[in-house]
Amino acid sequence: MTLLQGLIKLPQHRWRATVDGSTMPSQQYSPVRRLATRIRLNATRMVAIQGFGYLGQALSSAEIFATLFGGGVLRPGHDRFVLSPGHYVIALYAVAAEVGLLDPAELASYGRDGTQLEAIGSERTPLVDLVCGSLGQGLSAAVGFALASQLAGEQRDTFAFLSDGEMEEGQVWEAAMFASHQRRRMGRLIAIIDANNSQVDGAVSSVTTLEPLADKWRAFGWQVLEVDGHDVAALDQALKRRSPDAPLALIARTSCLGRLRCLPTTLDAHFLKLDEPLRAALERELTQELASADA
Amino acid sequence: MREPPYATVLKPYGEALTALARTRPEIVCLGADLTRQTETDLFRDAIPERFFNAGMAEANMIGIAAGLARAGHVVFVNTFGVFCTRRCFDQIAMAVAYPRLNVRLVGFMPGLSSPGGPSHQAIEDVALMRALPNMMVLEPADATEIRQAVVALAGHVGPVYMRLKRGESPLIFEESHRLQLDRAQILAGRGHSDVCLIAAGMMLPAALAAARTLEREGLAVAVINAPVIKPLDGATILAAARESRVIISAENHSIIGGLGSAVAEVLAGAGLGVPLHRVGIADVFAESGSREYLFSRYGLDTQAIVRTAWEALARPGPVPCAPSVPASPGTYAPV
Repeated sequence: MTLLQGLIKLPQHRWRATVDGSTMPSQQYSPVRRLATRIRLNATRMVAIQGFGYLGQALSSAEIFATLFGGGVLRPGHDRFVLSPGHYVIALYAVAAEVGLLDPAELASYGRDGTQLEAIGSERTPLVDLVCGSLGQGLSAAVGFALASQLAGEQRDTFAFLSDGEMEEGQVWEAAMFASHQRRRMGRLIAIIDANNSQVDGAVSSVTTLEPLADKWRAFGWQVLEVDGHDVAALDQALKRRSPDAPLALIARTSCLGRLRCLPTTLDAHFLKLDEPLRAALERELTQELASADA
Repeated sequence: MREPPYATVLKPYGEALTALARTRPEIVCLGADLTRQTETDLFRDAIPERFFNAGMAEANMIGIAAGLARAGHVVFVNTFGVFCTRRCFDQIAMAVAYPRLNVRLVGFMPGLSSPGGPSHQAIEDVALMRALPNMMVLEPADATEIRQAVVALAGHVGPVYMRLKRGESPLIFEESHRLQLDRAQILAGRGHSDVCLIAAGMMLPAALAAARTLEREGLAVAVINAPVIKPLDGATILAAARESRVIISAENHSIIGGLGSAVAEVLAGAGLGVPLHRVGIADVFAESGSREYLFSRYGLDTQAIVRTAWEALARPGPVPCAPSVPASPGTYAPV
């Protein structure tokens, strides 16, 4: 099954209406940037119901998901999308509700008993070609998808969303090596890495040394681009700059706090406990941001 | 059935897979630096565009197989059984078994057929794969069954683990033999028996040889071939068990979690109080050595089955001696 098949059929204009972020100065509040803020607000409200959840993942990846799904990068029904760290599925739900792929009312069921919107993605997860819960596995399957497309002579891209923490798993590097060896077949494989420097035990850099991340991917034979992952224009430009000669690793430097003023920098955002004052502050900051953007 | 020493066939799996893949463009072949050893050099040379060597990176290979299978391919993944199952169990569980993909994991060199010691001996692969929901577990006994299994698997929906002897495969069955993915076969001894032997894979020739030795002593012996270890054909096993005084399972695998355990589950589930004795590797890691040495040292030889039956039936007198069948080059006989 390809991306988005069998789901709510969107009127095509919804997609054509999306904005090409590359034409915009990065400071301007583009529709894609607005979408990222909506992702953060949706995720805050989803997590608020139970008071805990993977909010930090949505805060760090909001611009990435906004660019992919709202920036015309990922062609629904055509390209494939693999979400390797299943904990990020909250961001997928949050964006899907904004672009008409998911009934916004369903967001309230996030993480609850019997829901289709499980807190860690699974085979029941809608909207994606694959979501992994066990970390470090997504890139291998994305390589398989890309091989299949190449064997079939299809012109479709395979996007794999990865996180920096899961690069501690050796399988990621096995996949990186294989993809590079098969580089002629892998020109349509794009790994987007949310480098938010966060894992369960704290900062990734406090647990192990992944850096220099860009050099590592380059040494493994990939094209590498490194951008500010909260800059939608930079993300968009990077995704359009790639060459078809080799797979692309796009390293998006982000923060689990999503650069929100109300979140104390000491917060452990990996699995965020959202008490009422924090929830109210987040709601206030995000709604104000949307209001001033719309003004 | 033929008689030992059995004629042997080289690369029946590789030949069958290559022949099938010529007519089935959805078949893709993956390997992990063991191409000749897994008979897939035939596939590589015939259909190079659908053969991919993942190198010594089994976890990644399973993930690639999953991506290909999700895109519609039937993927045959080939390596030694020990590396296929131990090294990437989580990957198999999450990427292949859970989504119920058409991936066929083919693990060569089962149990103590490897001279390479514990690092190369798959003694719990069946236990691991049997425990995974959606996974079918297969262990054909000879070249005829292997050829038929490849064809049957191409039409099966869902993941399969198939363990295969490396190197020459014996020809035990005639061409008329039919392997079915939901059946065990009673090869000998319909009606009442003193002992019912249930075997798969490399232990089938030993079970057949043990049966002959026991029959010479006047015992009635049933022999069941169980190439499909999961889902096990409980109806056939129970029907034979109800007519037997003693059941003996024989497997080239740990006695924990494999064929013997599967038989025990069937018997206990039906409330059948027939004694079950499991011939297999007795919850130990083995060592390096020849097949002959290891099979006799770790109780996987014909004599071990004879002795187990003799003692289980409390027969008087010394345990009869299973005559050894000399195997000339190009033929195969059980230890």
